[in-house]
Amino acid sequence: MNKSINHQFFFPNPPKAVWEYLTNSELMDLWLMKNDFQPIVGHEFQFRTGPKPDYNFDGIVYCKVLEIVPFEKLSYSWKLGPGDGIINIDSVVKWELKSKNEGTELVLEHSDFAIMENLLIFNSMNEGWVKNVHKIIDRLNAASHGTINT
Amino acid sequence: MLLSKDSLTINNLAENFDMSRPAVSKHIKILYTAGFIAIEDIGRERHCTLKQDGFNELQKWISYFDEFWTSKLKRLDALLNNKLVN
Repeated sequence: MNKSINHQFFFPNPPKAVWEYLTNSELMDLWLMKNDFQPIVGHEFQFRTGPKPDYNFDGIVYCKVLEIVPFEKLSYSWKLGPGDGIINIDSVVKWELKSKNEGTELVLEHSDFAIMENLLIFNSMNEGWVKNVHKIIDRLNAASHGTINT
Repeated sequence: MLLSKDSLTINNLAENFDMSRPAVSKHIKILYTAGFIAIEDIGRERHCTLKQDGFNELQKWISYFDEFWTSKLKRLDALLNNKLVN
C-alpha cells in the first residue's frame, strides 16, 4: 500500500547550483510553485498553485522541512486537502543530489502516501499488526481477481 | 456454505493465516472502519470484499504527482540550462 514516485534527472550543473534551485524561494518559484520555503529544519511553509476541485484540492500544499544536508539531501512533508484545515493526503518528498561526471544526479522520491481518514487508524497500529493487515488485503485482492479456489 | 467468488469469509481468512479467528476479526474490523473492505453477512458467514475506493483515490493522486514531477523537472532543466525563453 505504500507506493512511491521515483524520478532521477541528470543536470550538467554542479550540485551547488542545483541546490540553489531547490532551496532558494524565488528560484523555486520559477520552476516549481510559489512558496515561502526556508532551508531550516522544522520550518513550516506552503506551496501555492491553482486549485483542482475534481481532486478535492484547494491549491495549497502544506509542508515542513524534515531534513537538510547542504548540497546533498533535502526532505519535507507534503500535505494537502480541500481547505479549511482539512488534510486528505499526507506524504514526504525527498531530494538527493549526487555529484556525477562534473554534473549532478538529482534523485527524487515522493512517498509515504497516506489518505488521512485511514491515517488515524494505521497510526494506532503497531508494525506487527500492519504486516497482518497487509497480508489480509493481499489475500482479499487475490480472491477478487479470481486466483483463489475455495 | 455459500461463497461468492470475489469475497472471503472470516473463517477462510483465519485458516490461511496462522491467526486465531478473533485476531482476524479484529483486523477486519479495523480495515472496515478505514473503508478498505466491505462486510456482508450471508447465512452464518461474514463475507469480506475489498473496496477499491480507498485505493483508487490514492492511486489517482500518485499518478497525478508522477506526471507533475516529470514536468517540473523538465522546467528545472530548461531553467538551469537557459533553454527557456523568458
